[in-house]
Amino acid sequence: MKTFKTQLAFDGKRLILRNFSYIFFSLLMPAGFYLLFTKVMVSGSSTQMKPFYVSYMDSMIVYSVLISALFGIAAILKRDRDQGLVTFLSLSAHGTFPYYLSVAFWMLMMSLFSVAVMGSLAVGINGVSLHFDQWLSLFGVVLIGQLPIMLIGIGLSYIRRYETLSLASNLITFPMAIVSGLWWPINMLPKWLQSIGELMPTYFVNQLLNQLTSRAKVDLTNLLGIVAWFVVTGLLVIVLSKHEQRKSVALGEA
Amino acid sequence: MTTVIQAEHLKFSYGDKTVLKDINLTVQPGEIVGLIGANGAGKTTFLNILLGLLAGTGEVSVFGQRPGAPDSKVRLGSMLQGDMVIAGTTVGDLMQLAAAQSPRALDPDALLNEFHLSDLKPQRLGILSGGQLRRITFAVALVGNPDLLFLDEPTVGMDAQSRKAFWTQIEQLRQQGKTMVITSHYLEEIQQVADRLLILQNGRFVFNGSLQALQKQHLGATITCETDLQSAIFNGLPAVDKVQLVAPKLIIHSTDGDQTLRALVPMLDRLHQVSVTRESLEDIFLQLTGKDDEK
Repeated sequence: MKTFKTQLAFDGKRLILRNFSYIFFSLLMPAGFYLLFTKVMVSGSSTQMKPFYVSYMDSMIVYSVLISALFGIAAILKRDRDQGLVTFLSLSAHGTFPYYLSVAFWMLMMSLFSVAVMGSLAVGINGVSLHFDQWLSLFGVVLIGQLPIMLIGIGLSYIRRYETLSLASNLITFPMAIVSGLWWPINMLPKWLQSIGELMPTYFVNQLLNQLTSRAKVDLTNLLGIVAWFVVTGLLVIVLSKHEQRKSVALGEA
Repeated sequence: MTTVIQAEHLKFSYGDKTVLKDINLTVQPGEIVGLIGANGAGKTTFLNILLGLLAGTGEVSVFGQRPGAPDSKVRLGSMLQGDMVIAGTTVGDLMQLAAAQSPRALDPDALLNEFHLSDLKPQRLGILSGGQLRRITFAVALVGNPDLLFLDEPTVGMDAQSRKAFWTQIEQLRQQGKTMVITSHYLEEIQQVADRLLILQNGRFVFNGSLQALQKQHLGATITCETDLQSAIFNGLPAVDKVQLVAPKLIIHSTDGDQTLRALVPMLDRLHQVSVTRESLEDIFLQLTGKDDEK
């Protein structure tokens, strides 16, 4: 337990407290977007805008999770492997399990933190009001919904070159955000693009959040979509991890 | 006492490329073993196998267990090539993390103090110099209070003072009975501390023994003097390989220094400023590895 606590403290400082760029892109930027599109660039009355304040809060929570996973987790894991931290820990008696647990813990905390920040902005600035059970289910959906997105981030971390990783993160994150309706409503997109967007994990999570926060009927196919993505990305990560191990041995890099 | 490292008929290949062909080795507690070899000879691969990061074929054990077994990991410390420059991390954070990995860890602050590195404790790793990072990596390797240390090119990037301090610390660790396997390109340094030398060439140990034993096999010496005698006289002496006249000095290269020196005794009255230089580890290393390359 002492090892895990020390690992948590170690990662909390380096990944969150002393990592301004990560906090900026995965938390402050979505928060800024939320303020911009609900306070500055508005075109309706407050009553008309009320549903939008809630749904855009949902979108920015999902966007925050997406940035955190595809830019944050991917880069963190890659750097830790390249800089020898993972090898160092694998040589210790406790191995790398506390490390992976700790990184996952902080990523989950960041997601919950983003719910807290977007929620506070929605309540404090836009007067959004949700019941306790809605907030609770919002936290629950974010925790579950971020898993496949985190796995995509883990998968990206196996890209060998930083430049390629950065390119891949950009090429996946922004199109995924746009086609799944996080930036503007999905029905503004052409039909064929909507069909693609409706298959994205971010779409499923966003839809679930929207249904919970608007008290609409929860469509369980969204949950099934998240599970399907979780299975596929989980298998992909397993394959990539095995491939990486074999490649490291072949190159003498282990 | 239990053997610390045992390897029998160890082989390892990266795909088609065989790196270790037939490695046999026993290391006893408290021994300091210097592992030397040209770049790409397989030193790091061998260490990685002992650490459990790579799996070879043949029999290998560390503290009587397979490499990488949890019980043996607790007794093991390593300083691998490359330092951990972890963003957002201070020296103190890294030392705390390293200490938390072992139930028998030393006090990280006391260790930093002992290494005269306390000033660096609040510093971020990213701003340290290469030499400072190397010393921190050494402290990280030691904080778990290991019985066996693997040090892979430990002094690369260190300045002369840091290198001297490092080898003094190695001497102190010897007195504490630690077992060490050290690879280094600074052969003159490694020959000072190693009880035993292993020379790895083309996947095999071409030498496994003490420096004295190695020098007995390689008796070469260079004798330098000033003389009024004709240089041709020296060509005829036993074991003389080559005579060079670099006025006013005469340089005699001998394949057996003792034999040539005995033959020089009758001429001592005519020889001045005599000095004898035995073959260094580097000379012998180059001979051994050079010969194999030619094959």
